[in-house]
Formats: sequence, structure tokens, C-alpha cells
Amino acid sequence: MDLKRKLQLAAYALFILSLFAVPLFTDDFGLNRASKYLVYGMLGLSIALTWGYAGVLNLGQGLFFGLGAYMMAMSLKLMSPTSLAQGSDKPIPDFMLWNAEPDAPIELCCITPGSYLWIPFQDQWFGVAMGIVVPVVVAGLLGALVFKNRISGVFVSIITLALVLLVRLIVIDAQPVTNGFNGLTDLGFFTVFGYEFDPYSREMYYLVAVSLAFVLVAGRLLADTRASLILQAIRDDQQRARHLGFDVPLYQTFFFVVSAAIAGYAGMLFVLVSEFASPTFMDLSFSVTMVVWAAVGGRSSLLGACIGAILINVIESQVSETEALVDAWKAIIGLIFVLVVLFLPRGLGGLAHDFVDWLARRDREKAHGLAASSSSPEREVKQDV
Amino acid sequence: MAEVLFIGLSLSSILLLIALGLAITYGAMGVINMAHGDMVMIGAYVTVMSKIWLDLSFFAAIPIAFFVTALIGLVIERLVVRRLYGRLLDTLLATWGISILLQQSIRLEFGLSFFGINIEGLGPGLQNVSVPSVLQGTVHVAGTDLNAYRVFIIAVTAVLTLVTWAILYRTSFGVQVRAIIRNPQMAAACGIDVKRVNALTFAFGSGLAGVAGVMMSGFKTVFPDMGSTLVVDGFLVVVAGGVGSIYGTILASGLLGEINALVALFSNDIIARAVVFAVVIAVIVLKPKGLFSFKGR
Repeated sequence: MDLKRKLQLAAYALFILSLFAVPLFTDDFGLNRASKYLVYGMLGLSIALTWGYAGVLNLGQGLFFGLGAYMMAMSLKLMSPTSLAQGSDKPIPDFMLWNAEPDAPIELCCITPGSYLWIPFQDQWFGVAMGIVVPVVVAGLLGALVFKNRISGVFVSIITLALVLLVRLIVIDAQPVTNGFNGLTDLGFFTVFGYEFDPYSREMYYLVAVSLAFVLVAGRLLADTRASLILQAIRDDQQRARHLGFDVPLYQTFFFVVSAAIAGYAGMLFVLVSEFASPTFMDLSFSVTMVVWAAVGGRSSLLGACIGAILINVIESQVSETEALVDAWKAIIGLIFVLVVLFLPRGLGGLAHDFVDWLARRDREKAHGLAASSSSPEREVKQDV
Repeated sequence: MAEVLFIGLSLSSILLLIALGLAITYGAMGVINMAHGDMVMIGAYVTVMSKIWLDLSFFAAIPIAFFVTALIGLVIERLVVRRLYGRLLDTLLATWGISILLQQSIRLEFGLSFFGINIEGLGPGLQNVSVPSVLQGTVHVAGTDLNAYRVFIIAVTAVLTLVTWAILYRTSFGVQVRAIIRNPQMAAACGIDVKRVNALTFAFGSGLAGVAGVMMSGFKTVFPDMGSTLVVDGFLVVVAGGVGSIYGTILASGLLGEINALVALFSNDIIARAVVFAVVIAVIVLKPKGLFSFKGR
């Protein structure tokens, strides 16, 4: 194992260890906030996976995040106490009554047009499954359509951008099913075998931290596979990879789907932690903000993008404590972004890589120098022969 | 029906007004300028400010807005965009940062609000511009009553489009711009000062956005974030029309504006917008180069 590899492993180990050290330093309120940052970190990672390795800049990652969030929130909404207290023996979301016709039966099947979509979500695990399945299916279809047609570069970004805005509008328009602009609030607790996950608790934080650690390690392993190498070859020269006989759309779609699944999972966790789902998850600005995190952290470094997202959000929350600085912080983020794109296109992760390279080179030179001085010239000649 | 088509036409002209500048900067220079919407916003603020501080009429704001935004465009090109030619996605990201900066500098009154200094007309609040009395009311055309301000916007858009067309196709500067659209290296080899032409093109595109801002201020509230949705619309029009093709942009804006108006007639505005997005996605998937395009960079 060379030095670079060792340092990379050390960085991952250190990061994951520090994830689990956070509860030592903060209370339940702080842990709730920290959980949100970790979810953002997961999003940053999912952006870097497609952007750095596939060269596909997804400007609509909020779509998958939002879909995951809504699927989870629908199940939790039905578990909320208010949904049980609407005058029916089965749970009914309160907003459906506000949107219902006066003489509509108070049943999920037909209280509002489209409300039957909610019926299977009475089982929490259906919501959990859909939170992954829906983003995966949407990403699979989109990826197949886009990559089969050999669309690349900025056009993929525009399609993802248009799609997230399209879905956002549909969600807003489908008021009787989704509660429109207001989103889904007043949710129940996520329950596993009778244990309720309180968003303001150590257990919830550990759930998020373990998830992030798992995604991070799995992402790293995936990035070391042969498939990832082929993907990078496609990124660098699609034409050449195609002529070498690789099924280019297959690889691109696969990584696109994995990234969408991670984003969907992050959306589910976010709902557990923050107890709401809203169409703002699919705002353009949120999707671009994710890209900012990844760019600052390092677009081609999974850990870097993850740390970038966490770092920016930690600083943002510190700065936002002072009311007057909220708007100034936004301006600073804008400036940082311009500067990073101009002068540090590989982000903090790129800086770290350069530093490691420098260390490795120094190390090698040192070793080389020692070897040269300790061994006699004749022996070296012999070795050559 | 004629009324719906007219509304579609006026929606189209607004789209075209915003997209025209983008078509030039994206087509000619390969720069995705996400700050374009904020140029529109600044144009709108110029209208507000020139009324409050200089007591100038709505019409006088048009040339001022053009020059102010063109100047800002020139500065942005010099400081940022110039370093990013050939890195398409990076121009998108960097100009997104600029866009946030511009919005915040209006919201924070250039930072003066920290020192308790407030400039009337700036800040986070909403501003309103009153349309001159000449443009209020309706115009009677071909048996239907049309909103005078909408007719005015259509006329201004037509004039600006013609001017842009004339510059591109009837001046030596336009020949240089079109040469750069086709092949920048070859253009440079033929002795065209690509840097200078690019800078001026960017400034002109920004200036067009400024004029669009004056027009927008007449029927929309003016606030610091108003540009964010506009730039997306404009951008989708340019891509659907075909990069680097001014005709494509004109036709695409006409198509999308009319689709928007027609769908809104049968459902609502939200669904109409969603349908427009769907059409754009379909166009890009089926014809990634856009409906009309050159082979260029």
C-alpha cells in the first residue's frame, strides 16, 4: 500500500471516527442540527459521484432528494396523531379534509381526487421502500433516455434542471394530494419495532451518522471498482470508450441511479430529522446550492464534497446567529464560489490531493536519496544486468 | 381565440426579450451566464432609481438601463468570464456566484445598510414602477381591445430584435461575431480581435437584459430575486431554439409563449409552465442541438 492510499484511508477513518465523537460535545438540540449537516454531506457526496466520476453535472439533484423526502413524509404523516383524529377509524391527513368536497366520504380511497395514492403508505415500510425505489426508477428512466440518446455535458444539466422544476410545479399543483406549497408538516415519529426515533435524540443522530459512514465507505469502494475506471474513461473521452466496446449508457445510467438513490435516502433522513417535506426541496436554488457544496469541497473527491457541505453549513449556521450577517453571508458564499471556480477548480479535496502528492514525492525522493548513498555503484550496475 | 394568441404573443415577446441577450452570449461566446437574470433585475432597479432620484420618465430609463447593465457586463467579462472560456459548465457555476453577489448587493444597498445608511429604492423590499399614462388602457386593433402596455412590449421586442439582427448581419462587427460563433480559433487566425469582440458582445447581451428589466418593471414587482426564474426561462428558450441561432431563439420563444398561453387557457398557469418545461425537455432529448442550429463550437 503506498503512502497516498494510506493517507486516504486515514482521512476516511478519521472523518468517520469524528462523526461518532460529536455526541460527546453537544446536546440533543445540537445533535439535531448536526444530523441535518450530515444529510447535506451525503448530498454533496452524491453530487460528486456523478460530477467528478461521470462528468455529469446534475442541476436537479433536488428532484431525487425531494422524491425520497415526500415518500417518507407521506408514511409519517399517516402516523401523526392529528391524522388519527379526523373522525375516521383509519388515519386521514388533516389537509385532505380542508381540500375535500363537503360531502366526500372521509376515507383515503376517495376523500380527494388522487388521495387513493396514499393507501399503501399506511405501512411505514412501504414509504421507506418507495423513498429509494421512486428516485431509482425515475433516475433509471431519465438516464436511459438521456444517455442512450448520447446527450452529454451541459444538455444533461439543463434536462435535469428543467425536470426538477417540472416536478416541483406538479407537486405544488396537486394540492389535494400533496398539500401544495405548504408541504407535509406535523409528522409522526419513525418507529422501528416499537422504538420511536425522536428527532432530538442521540439515537437519531447515530442513525444518520451510521448511514453517512456506510454511504461514504460504499461510495469509496464503488469508486475503486473497474466500473468506475471505465466511467472516468467515458468522462474523459466518450467516443473512445464507445469504440473500445464499452456500453457507455449502461455505465453512465448505473452511476446516475446510484447517485439518485443516495439523494433519495438523504431526503428520507432529512424528513426524519426535520419533520417536514416541502416543495422548496425542489427549488432550483437548493439544487445549485448542493453543487456549490461539492465544488467547494472538491468535485471529484467523495470525502471532500461531503466535508465541503458540512463545513459550509456549520459556518453558515454560526454566522446566521447574528441577524445582520445572514444576507452578508449569502454574498460571501457567492464570492467564495466565484473564487473557487476561478482559482481552485478542484476544491478543498484538490488541495488535499496536491498536498498528499507533494508528501509522496518528497518521501520518494528521500527514499531514493538514501538508497543511492547506501548502495555502491557496482551493485546498482549488477542489478541492472 | 385572437385574445389568447395575443397573450401568447406578449408572453413570447417577454421570453424573447430575456433570451435575446443570452442567445448572443451563449451562442457567440460559449458562456452560460446565470447572472443574466440579475441584469434584468438591475435594469428594473435602474427604472426605479431614475424615477426616485433623477425624476426621469419611464422612457428615459431605457437607454440608462442599457448602458448601466452593459458596463456591469463588461466588468464581469473582464474579471471573471474571460478566464473561463472553453469551460462551459464552470461559466455556469461562476456566474451563479456572481448572480448571488449582485442580488445581495442590491439587498444590502451595496453594504451601506450595515452603516445604517439606507438608499431609497434599494434594499430587500418590493418596489413598484408606474407605467406612463400613454401606455395605460387599451388599444383597439382588428376588432379586439388589447392591453396597451403589452402592445408596447411587443413593439420594443421587435425593435430590439431587428437592431440585434442588423448588428449581427449588416455590420462588420456582426461579421466578426458570427465568425467567432462558427469557429473562434479560425476567427482569431484571420486577425479578428476575439477578446475585444467577446467583451463587447457580452456587454451588448447584458445591455439587452437591462432593457428587458425596464420592460419587466412595468408589470411586475421589482425585488432583488426577480431574476432567478427569468434566467431559467430565457435559457430554456435559447437551448430549445438551438445554440447560436438567433432565428431559433425567436421561433422557440414564439412557440413556448403560445404553448404557455394555450395550456393556461385550458388548465392553469402552473400546469402551463410545467408543460413548457416538458416541451423543452422533449426538444433537447429529440434534437439535442435545438430546433435550429449551426455547427459551431
